[in-house]
Amino acid sequence: MNQWYRPQVGTPIAELDTPCLILDMDALDHNMGIMADFYEGKSSKLRGHGKNHKSPALAHRQIRRGGTVGGVCAAKVSEAEVMVQSGIPNVLVTSEIVAPLKINRLCSLAQQAQILVACEDSNNAEMLSQAAIAQGVNLGVVIEQETGLVRCGVQSIDQGVALAKTIHSLPGLTFRGVMSHQMMAEPSSNREDRVTEGRRIIQDVIDLKDAITAAGIPVEIVSTGETWSYDVAGEIPGVTEIQGGTYLLMETSYDYMSEFQFAGKVLTTIISVPRPGVAVGDAGLKAVGAMKGMPAVDGQPGVVAESMDANHVVFRLDDGVRLNLGDQVTLIPGQQDAMVSRWDRFVGLRDGKVEAVWDIEARGCHN
Amino acid sequence: MERPVFQPVGTPVEELDTPALVVDLEVMSQNIETLHSYFRQAEAKIRPHVSCHQCPNIARLQMAAGGTAGGIAVTTVGEAEVFSNAGFDDILVANEVVTPPKIRRLCALARLNRITVAVDNPQNVAVLSKIAGDAQVTLNVLVDIDAGFGCCGVAPTGDARELARAVHSSPGLDFQGLMSYEGPLLYQNRSELEDETRRRLQLVLDTRQLIEAEGIAVSTVSVGSTSNYDIAGQMSGITEIQAGSYPLMDHNYCRYKTEFTPAAKILASVVSHSVEARAVVDSGHKTTGPDLGVPFLEGVAGATATRFSAEHGILELEPEAFTRLKSNEKVWLVPFDLALCVNQYDYIRAVRRGKLEGFWPVAARGRWD
Repeated sequence: MNQWYRPQVGTPIAELDTPCLILDMDALDHNMGIMADFYEGKSSKLRGHGKNHKSPALAHRQIRRGGTVGGVCAAKVSEAEVMVQSGIPNVLVTSEIVAPLKINRLCSLAQQAQILVACEDSNNAEMLSQAAIAQGVNLGVVIEQETGLVRCGVQSIDQGVALAKTIHSLPGLTFRGVMSHQMMAEPSSNREDRVTEGRRIIQDVIDLKDAITAAGIPVEIVSTGETWSYDVAGEIPGVTEIQGGTYLLMETSYDYMSEFQFAGKVLTTIISVPRPGVAVGDAGLKAVGAMKGMPAVDGQPGVVAESMDANHVVFRLDDGVRLNLGDQVTLIPGQQDAMVSRWDRFVGLRDGKVEAVWDIEARGCHN
Repeated sequence: MERPVFQPVGTPVEELDTPALVVDLEVMSQNIETLHSYFRQAEAKIRPHVSCHQCPNIARLQMAAGGTAGGIAVTTVGEAEVFSNAGFDDILVANEVVTPPKIRRLCALARLNRITVAVDNPQNVAVLSKIAGDAQVTLNVLVDIDAGFGCCGVAPTGDARELARAVHSSPGLDFQGLMSYEGPLLYQNRSELEDETRRRLQLVLDTRQLIEAEGIAVSTVSVGSTSNYDIAGQMSGITEIQAGSYPLMDHNYCRYKTEFTPAAKILASVVSHSVEARAVVDSGHKTTGPDLGVPFLEGVAGATATRFSAEHGILELEPEAFTRLKSNEKVWLVPFDLALCVNQYDYIRAVRRGKLEGFWPVAARGRWD
């Protein structure tokens, strides 16, 4: 773990040691502002996903900026622990938690904050119930429905209604509602396409909500949607909250969501100019990742990230473009959350200077 | 950082909280013995490249196995600092270090240790020399040669000779010789691997001759990797091999280097099996590092790991596997690329004969600086 590098506030960008995970604070504030403005006055609210930034400092800033439910999502129990310990009062754990050790940790958290957890299985619900009773807490439970991601969740309305009845009847648990998570089959910048696709997929979880309500069980929460559908899901009657995460720091694979700006980037330094037309930077697969392809180069036309090994990125330079040893190049990642999860802190920059340094306290919280 | 449940020593491996990076110490020791026994007999020596595992405990076992050049190789100044703090005193930073603040850190390390650094640019040589002189230390220097990988390094022969001259005449710097990384040479066919290794390394050896003809001594030629250690190790004029994958291995390397066995695996748990043809485990991109390839699911007949998302892995199942892979059942994933997997963890769960022996810090994790 890198506990050493923590630049002073006021340090100019040119003096930052690299590789460095930087936050463009103007872009960050802009992205938060888009969400705050959109959800103001709406019945649905944003529940920012903590797995994307893993940083309580960002979670608190997100909540203060407005438009949220006042809590966050977490993908892992240990991630939820970090958020609760930092004072976040309300956390939805969006993964199924099945290991007894982890269920105990979850119940312990429920003594300190309002905890919601995803569930797809009645045996799991019984385990959650027993642990909650043993620890004298109440766990809020939402049923995860599969809506096309081909991953976790109940597969049909009938299955969902049966599970809701089970959860509703179990002591130690409160049935709170339903959730789903979906991908857009073919990302499109055309809002009409997003609206059509979003409404089609999210209708499944609305149908499940209606069926559970018809069975006499109140459904308070319908938690669905994500960055690509924030403005679609947010206007579907019945949806109460949207699980947005990527919008905050952004990544190139979401560039079709042009209202958001790239805020999370990696600053590199050129350490080798071995041949004409080639320069090598000091950040590679370990620091940036390449699950969604090579990163983009920010603001330097004619410089393209062509390949990466563990610790290097090789840039191809157009004719006439020259980089020298010590020059800085900024990368925009293809995938944001798998990149942030490798770093120990964000260095926030405004007007070319360090404004804030924030620990990524839930980095490595895999358990 | 990682917040594992620190379960007691002696905990059976299948009871470990997941996802967990688990190293089988006996398998690892066997891998280390296989490679180090070769170098105990050879003229060339092994300089373990520890960036793959970032773990001082493992590096200590490598050094204790004999046949070494007396030190280790790392990629970054940050890694060198971690290993210096852990007691390693002969460290090759097998990479270019160009910014003055980093060079000053390198010089600070050189007060305590024997530090060697790679160069591929005369401007950088001048800056290294100036800062080493100011700090009143000596940095050992290897000229980095691009023998075909296409990343850092000067062209062999003429350019490399010019750079060697520049280093040789620079105060504060001690020209030691040459290094190269030939790239991950992975061939099923041994004779192809031999031909390609010899062809690339001959460029380095030719450069050595040119430099020696100038009357400049070349005491170190540091090259190679786990894939070609026993080929490079036989070439006269090569003094040390920088291999790093062999203690832990990974799915990619094991397909080509059958004398080694994977010792590092991810223990994951089934968290969802809502349809019969599928199970979902609690390990995805963030815990396997699949940038270069997806992990291999080991030991469950009829089950294949097919897709990974940030937090989940998706297994496709034949009926017999569905019966077996109940909720919370454990599975083993062999990472495709070791370095990118270890990079995600703060602790290795060290296991011997199926029981937990300790949590070993991946002390240099995240030290890209």
